[in-house]
Amino acid sequence: MTESPREHVERTADQPTRESADQPTQESAGLPVATPAELRAAVRELLRPRRGLTLSAVAVLTAATAVGLLTQPLLGRAVDVVAEGRPAGDLTWLVVLLSAVAVVQGGALAYGLVLVSRLGETTLARLRERFVDRALRLPLDQLERAGSGDLTARVTGDVTLVAQAVRNALPELARSALAIVLTFGALALLDWRFLLAALVAVPLQVHTARWYLRHALPLYTRQRVAVAGVQQRLLETLGGARTVRAFRHHARHTARVEDSSLHARGLTLRGVRLVISFYTRLHIPEFLGLAAVLITGFVLVRDGSASIGTATAAALYFHSLFTPVNAALVLMDDAQSARAGLARIVGVAHHGLPEPVPVDPPTAPGDVTVAVTALDHAYEPGRPVLRDIDLALRPKERVALVGASGAGKSTLAKLIAGVHRPAAGRIRRAGAVGLVTQEVHVFAGPLADDLRLARPEATDAELRAALDLVGALGWAEALPTGLDTVVGAGGHPLTPAQAQQLALARLVLTDPPIVVLDEATAEAGSTGARSLERAADRALDGRTALVVAHRLTQAATADRIVVMSEGRVVETGTHDELRAARGRYAALWDAWSDHRTTR
Amino acid sequence: MTGRDVLRRAVVGQRRRLVGSALLGAGHQAGEALTPMLIGVIVDHAIAEGDSGALVLLLGALGVCYLVLSFSFRFGSRIGERAAETAAHELRVDLVRRVLHPAGGAERGRLPGALASVATEDARRVGVVLMALVLGFGALMGLLVGSVALLRISLPLGLLVLLGTPVLLWLGHLLSKPLERRSATEQEAAALASGVAADLVSGLRVLKGLGAETAATDRYRRISEDSLAATLRAARAEAGQQGVTLAVTGVFVALVALVGGRFAASGDISLGELVSALGLALFLLTPFQTLAWVNTELAQGRASAARVADVLAAPWAVEPGGEPPAAPVRGELAVRALDHDAVRALDLTTHPGELLGLAVADPAHADTLLRCLGRETDPAGGTLLLDGTALTALDPAALRAAVLVAPHDADLFSGTVADNVPGAAQAAALAAAGADALGADTQAGEGGRALSGGQRQRVALARALADDPPVLVLHDPTTAVDAVTEARIAAGIRDLRHGRTTVLVTTSPTLLAIADRVLLLDEAGRVTAEGRHADLLRDHPDYQRLVLS
Repeated sequence: MTESPREHVERTADQPTRESADQPTQESAGLPVATPAELRAAVRELLRPRRGLTLSAVAVLTAATAVGLLTQPLLGRAVDVVAEGRPAGDLTWLVVLLSAVAVVQGGALAYGLVLVSRLGETTLARLRERFVDRALRLPLDQLERAGSGDLTARVTGDVTLVAQAVRNALPELARSALAIVLTFGALALLDWRFLLAALVAVPLQVHTARWYLRHALPLYTRQRVAVAGVQQRLLETLGGARTVRAFRHHARHTARVEDSSLHARGLTLRGVRLVISFYTRLHIPEFLGLAAVLITGFVLVRDGSASIGTATAAALYFHSLFTPVNAALVLMDDAQSARAGLARIVGVAHHGLPEPVPVDPPTAPGDVTVAVTALDHAYEPGRPVLRDIDLALRPKERVALVGASGAGKSTLAKLIAGVHRPAAGRIRRAGAVGLVTQEVHVFAGPLADDLRLARPEATDAELRAALDLVGALGWAEALPTGLDTVVGAGGHPLTPAQAQQLALARLVLTDPPIVVLDEATAEAGSTGARSLERAADRALDGRTALVVAHRLTQAATADRIVVMSEGRVVETGTHDELRAARGRYAALWDAWSDHRTTR
Repeated sequence: MTGRDVLRRAVVGQRRRLVGSALLGAGHQAGEALTPMLIGVIVDHAIAEGDSGALVLLLGALGVCYLVLSFSFRFGSRIGERAAETAAHELRVDLVRRVLHPAGGAERGRLPGALASVATEDARRVGVVLMALVLGFGALMGLLVGSVALLRISLPLGLLVLLGTPVLLWLGHLLSKPLERRSATEQEAAALASGVAADLVSGLRVLKGLGAETAATDRYRRISEDSLAATLRAARAEAGQQGVTLAVTGVFVALVALVGGRFAASGDISLGELVSALGLALFLLTPFQTLAWVNTELAQGRASAARVADVLAAPWAVEPGGEPPAAPVRGELAVRALDHDAVRALDLTTHPGELLGLAVADPAHADTLLRCLGRETDPAGGTLLLDGTALTALDPAALRAAVLVAPHDADLFSGTVADNVPGAAQAAALAAAGADALGADTQAGEGGRALSGGQRQRVALARALADDPPVLVLHDPTTAVDAVTEARIAAGIRDLRHGRTTVLVTTSPTLLAIADRVLLLDEAGRVTAEGRHADLLRDHPDYQRLVLS
């Protein structure tokens, strides 16, 4: 059964949206999109190792379609047997042939479809592996400029879009196109005048298809955005139900969902109307073509240049064209959006690998593990975030970075971790830097797999030891199936504090000599924060560490405290030294410990 | 409420559109059935006879037939789709209304993603049921017209087609069933690859922080290979299914040609009637297939309707209805012998107008107490009272207008900061929460995620303060805020809440210091100390350990 109008619109809308995920401003800032020439080159490159497969897929599908086209002349021949009053026994072998055609066609089609899917799916798998590989190696600063929404949209939206096209549209389109071309050929074989009659429909069909594409793509884009908007608003509202109830905002939030749902309904119905009009407009060339073929049959039979059976076969051919023509025309918009998706995937996948931020060891590695000299940084020209920073971390020293919001602490931490390249100045590191921020992510899958991302060869005992060190072994073993419990999206939910403990356990497993902690303990409640701080303490043991902290107790226990203000380092020293100096740190400490006993 | 009720309400609500759409759909299908028949008639009466007058006349009839089927299709589908979309939309809004209902309970045991999927996917499926009913009716009508036409041509041939077609479809179904089953499980495995890729990309910063890009790529490659293998197996199954269907249909048409041809040869039916019969045999596959589709849609729609009904009929978390609190609210909150979850026999009282600090050693106890105070749940044992009236006797929404419990992990919503902080006291609240520098027109983004953790927390606090309730309960409102700002916020809360009951559940000394009175709940959840912050700090080692570690 061919697709209903609504199924078409909804399937198109189900294709994950990207328009809503990334703003145009981010698009322009950000990730590359392949040009048509690059796209062609990439597709050629992907298909080259599978040239044999490509050829045999095309050949088998063509054969299947061609065999299938024997049906109509055989039926026509049956009509002729009757018309010419030949013995009914002649019918039997025709019917045997018809059955054979059906069986061969079915078998060849199945085999051809298997070949097409092997070709499409293998190519797609290679492409997506390459995409993920390149995506994971994109420099973070480029990613932050582009907004991670764009990359996420490409990996969820575009990959699925192309996969669906490969899985559904590609075989269907190939079959339909072959059926159309070969049917026209078969009509010509019956009599070239039947082909002429059938071609009457073509200009109208082309015109209708153009009209449809012109309207469909912009409308579906808007509709996809609207449907994604409903989804987003629902997630936000239903996820925040407790807050909505606490503030008695239920009427307001229900109205917000209602508005966006109505908006999406309106656009969906407009899309449905468009597809319906498209089908309805296709009825006109269908009728005109059928009438032309019948008239031709009438004329040819009357002047004796064709048999009634041939005229019947021609009419049946044309009638059997309706389905593939409609299918091919309506799949065009799928093909177009898949092409756009492919351009965005290829843009990342065939992008050259960036040169890694060089590990540039300090000149005197014995005394210093990280050396920052004359560092300046700005995200936008003219708005400096860091100015003239000099800082050296000694081996196994723990340095706390303190300052009010906006002082530049996080930027300095990111630069030292190698996330950004400094605008000016130099950072030397004696080894790999592990970075843990307050952004937590639990990777979907078994808990043990999550940890093994940090060290793939780790034994179970090592995993347990790492969890134990950060105080997470207790709850991890209490999970339904212990370390094999599936966590992350769709799995067993973890609290933010547990997720942060996992992050610290991964750090322990990675075992980097240098660690940067950026407010890694801020998201938990005040009691939770303290146990996380203790876990972080143990995880940092024996490493050179730079810790960005809000809670001054974390600073107070550090070997050295660096106070920042407006992008500069304004004070450096131990807790006691800085308190005695009565400067900014002392003021901060007083504000914080105003109500705490003196230490 | 059951799934059946959901479906019935959807059908009854859209009955006018459904009737109109079904009638037009029947017209469309009748037209589709007449087309192959007319081709046969044209072959018979015009082409075979060489009668040009008949040709013009019959082509005119074909034109009229097309006009009718085109018109019926156009308007029938439109009306039907509108009915389906409208029913889905109304269900969606009903579901949201139920989840947000003050008495709560609908989201218990369901993740937001699962609820959202009920409100989108399941609501949509219920809508599709309406469309399936309409199309099913049309298919029956097409079947009826096609059958009458066939039976008029020849009774035995008609019976062969009418009885043969269901057998054929059943046979195809039987042959492809194992393939279908296999395909479904394989599709699931295939979907994994894109899920894992998305997951890795959303954890990209974490991976980079660990330098684990290679490990992640290797893992993805393995999963992608497994998915590929599964997808190929699924594709093989599907291809087999299509091939089988095609072959079986072809053999069936051949059979009809054989029987029809013999009748035509013996003169029982005319040549054109043979052509009509062949065309009708091909056409009749469609309504039967439509009916099979309707059947699966109905099954899926019933399952969806049952899930919708489950949410709509979820038991209340707390009893809805009840009195509003007596006005004016004095603001005396009392907890008497509270027994719930880990909390045992808890007693405490806030005096009207005081700023009470609650230093709770076990976060689970704090959470339980707050959920009971906000009537997210009613306690298993004991009573909570507002100005001497049990909370369970009060209307949940009216109670929350009097006693606002602002949770620690409060959610923000898309819109500006100002949208998130409604209320007359907006400016003062933003200032007190230290969120004034943020700018009221700043976009908070989806779920407030355009803001940093600290900014979100301050906006959430401002929202609670702007609500200006007689009793305000705040839970850990400043954990993501730096020390200087926290001190400023503490002073702001103190000023803004002056003279009205405020409860601060926190272990932050900065906040506890502004309280008129502080209660310490120890690890066992009992009140073990009471006094001013400074005194407790001096006299109580447990308290000191809790707030100063």
